[in-house]
Amino acid sequence: MGVTTEPQPSRIVAISPDDGSAIDLRNPALAAVLSWAVPGLGQLYQGRTTKGSLFMAAILTTFVLGLWLGGGKVVYASWKPGDTRWAFVCQAGAGLVALPAVVQSAQLLGPARQPLLLNGFMAPPLAPGQYVSRAYADRLARHDSDIEPDDFFDKPPLKQFRRDQLAQWHRQLGKFFEIGTLYTMLAGMLNLLVIYDAWAGPLGPSEDEKKRRAAESAAAALPAPPESAS
Amino acid sequence: MVATTALTLTTVMAVSPWLLQAPLLASLAGRVPGIFFGLPLVALASLIFAATHHEDPAQIRLATVHWTVWLGGMLGMVLAVVLLLGWLQ
Repeated sequence: MGVTTEPQPSRIVAISPDDGSAIDLRNPALAAVLSWAVPGLGQLYQGRTTKGSLFMAAILTTFVLGLWLGGGKVVYASWKPGDTRWAFVCQAGAGLVALPAVVQSAQLLGPARQPLLLNGFMAPPLAPGQYVSRAYADRLARHDSDIEPDDFFDKPPLKQFRRDQLAQWHRQLGKFFEIGTLYTMLAGMLNLLVIYDAWAGPLGPSEDEKKRRAAESAAAALPAPPESAS
Repeated sequence: MVATTALTLTTVMAVSPWLLQAPLLASLAGRVPGIFFGLPLVALASLIFAATHHEDPAQIRLATVHWTVWLGGMLGMVLAVVLLLGWLQ
């Protein structure tokens, strides 16, 4: 009777460029999706807690800081002619924290003509001539210091905005609109590296660093110079 | 893992509205010259570059310093050239 061996489940590992140890990537595709959803979550799933926590703290902090610098108005999704928000493509890289922008945009342009969150969080700016629900128009007129009730034409059952809200935001925020946009975009773009790290492991040292390490190890291998007799 | 994620997300969600309405911090940010807002981004990019190229925390720290100097130096040189061109005009 022959000896049968149980088939071992295959593991996908990456090799650490620092000490050559194996890094268990578990399910790399799932880890990559998790790292997109919440930066660093894929690394936490793989048991790489230090890096996962580092990525999560760094990228989410930068995203929130950018959102704050931009007065909460720099993350929005808009594909209207004249206001195509390409920056959102990068911001979406930060994962679920940017998702409200998609929902808000879809709701505002949909039959409801109002965002899901009526406070306008991550909602796109109103373009001149855009129709919105009466509830949203009334709320904007009450809570936004730059918008008056007269800024809307009454077109029952809707209201039509007659100014350019994006121009108002630029005037109100000045340079911080661009700075906030830059912070949130960079957070999303750097998360692409984090997603790759979850999927395939660390990239390894750069060519410069490899050369520097080789020079250091060569210098360490040289014999010590003989001491001169006095 | 779940606890860490929940804690981080809760912190982000709790802090965000407060930050968005903090007038003192906003006025402080308004006094900082725009160029200084690039420094945290250089540090962040260096940290993420380093952490995605290494696994060992000590190596990550070393590479972060290396990338910060390299990126800061490159951007500083570009800034110097721009300032020089502006001064010559």
